Amino acid sequence: MIAHAATSSMEADVLVIGSGAGGATTATVLAEAGLDVLVVEEGNWVEQGAVVPFSLDQMDQQYRAGGVTVALGMPSIAYTEGRCAGGGTEVNSGLYWRPPGELLERWRRDFKIRDFEPDDLLSIADEVETAIDVQLVPGGYSAPSEMLRDGAAALGWQHAEVPRWMTYPKGADAAKGERQSMTRTYLPRAVNAGARLVTGCRVDRLVLDGAKATAALTTLADGTPGRITFRHVFVCAGAIQSPALLQRSGVHGHIGRTLAVHPTVKLAARFADELNVPDDVPVHQVKEFAPHLSFGGSASNPGLVALSLLDQWSTFRQQVTDWKRMSVYYAAITSEGRGRVMSFPRMKDPVVTYRLTHRDRELLRSGLARLTLLMLEAGAQEVFPSFKGAPAVRTRRDVATMQQAFRASKATVMTVHLCSTVPMGEVTERCGADSFGLVHGLRNVHVNDASLLPTAPGVNPQASVMAFAIRNARHFVSTGGSRA
Amino acid sequence: MAVRQFSAAPVVGTFAERLLIADLPDLQPQRRREVVAFIAHRVDSLPSFTRFGVLAIGSVFHLLLAVPGGWGVAKALMRLPLPFVSEYPRLMRSLGFAYVWEHWPSTSPTGADLEVSA
Repeated sequence: MIAHAATSSMEADVLVIGSGAGGATTATVLAEAGLDVLVVEEGNWVEQGAVVPFSLDQMDQQYRAGGVTVALGMPSIAYTEGRCAGGGTEVNSGLYWRPPGELLERWRRDFKIRDFEPDDLLSIADEVETAIDVQLVPGGYSAPSEMLRDGAAALGWQHAEVPRWMTYPKGADAAKGERQSMTRTYLPRAVNAGARLVTGCRVDRLVLDGAKATAALTTLADGTPGRITFRHVFVCAGAIQSPALLQRSGVHGHIGRTLAVHPTVKLAARFADELNVPDDVPVHQVKEFAPHLSFGGSASNPGLVALSLLDQWSTFRQQVTDWKRMSVYYAAITSEGRGRVMSFPRMKDPVVTYRLTHRDRELLRSGLARLTLLMLEAGAQEVFPSFKGAPAVRTRRDVATMQQAFRASKATVMTVHLCSTVPMGEVTERCGADSFGLVHGLRNVHVNDASLLPTAPGVNPQASVMAFAIRNARHFVSTGGSRA
Repeated sequence: MAVRQFSAAPVVGTFAERLLIADLPDLQPQRRREVVAFIAHRVDSLPSFTRFGVLAIGSVFHLLLAVPGGWGVAKALMRLPLPFVSEYPRLMRSLGFAYVWEHWPSTSPTGADLEVSA
């Protein structure tokens, strides 16, 4: 382990708050440039393999609030945030998607991101892919993954294996991969270059003196208050905690007003043979209707299968004993709705809200219907959509009945991709930070995580987050921390 | 800066147990107690505002269960499509069911241990 316990008084040239995809890459670039870097992480260092992936134990140890966090709305949307060394990269699916080139072009144009060439960002993505071993599975796929592939192929829909940041023994199957998360890649690099990493240290707020932040007030794991002084700070605590910290620190502007997510609805599909994989997710995704709509597979341990049946427990409950023949799948949409992150005095955590638009609700409806159809084509004997009043689906004719019965307000809606709460760019009425993540109106407070992405990218955002974080950190180094 | 926190167990425990008895009547009492303790622990870990809301709604259900016939009223309340109120039993069930089937995958839909039954 390369992390140390935090102390009540620390100082650094550059403080990096958060150690996930944004924080770890930021710390690496800055430390390798010779800067004195301190990375603080609220959660603990948890060795890979110490907890079963997607288990309740993992949620206790590596997720914020045990994985029970929700954006209030009609319906409310359950989301999760990593809270451990390495952040979300330790707990997510490990699937890697580059940001689409046309999306980068749109971000540049609509948000006036200056000195930004999409091709340059994609070159950084090349580096990232080497650093975290992005690759396809050398051996066989899991059965739930093959079901997605086969169902899409039967319908003539576009589908693909999504590469992961994993290493595999030669020729090994999907289940043998070892995730190349931040604790395996960028954090050791940062520490080797001289960065210090401390865990169990929550930053409550930044102390502002005019347009400059001078210190961070902290609470250590045992409740002891602390203080960190610095010259520059990079807030990389994720799309919920970064704006919340800025708000608690009295930073105003376009902060926390445009939360963007990929809402998902789920179903459980039962097949003739046993196929359940409790501790991994399928590597195939269906992109026929992308970027608006995508299909993929979820973790499907027996507890999660039970959860997928919960909304219609009275009629679906008998299925739970058959969990070995079941797997859970999702339909994710690129939402036009937006949410807010709001901090209030004396409240430790922010209030998060999200509002789906009419178009979002209809897209969720058609997405769930299409996913159901795909499962039937893949050979599912019966499909159990996750919403109140859902019928079990056995035939194509049942799909129409199910689609009519669906209401987003009756569904279990979830997301794991959170972005856009401090959008980057020069349009100050829409952007919380400038084209390189420096918070508008401040001289030494930077944001460098998923908060900066102007909109939800329609694909897993980790690649975008890492590439932007490296770009912005390099700019900071090359300009010597301008405005400070 | 955080508001001082007290345990959620006295507020949510009675309702969670009653719900589990109704949903999973054959779950062994010892397991049921373990599940209720887990639910209370998770409620204690909720983000502050969510926890406040859960305990506020939980208090209403808790008080209902303290009066004769209260469970019937609670069941009627659960069936109403009331925003946030209907989320409360859903949260209790989600946490409880996830725990039951992750820890004892051979559990029947009524909570019986199928390994023992076999």
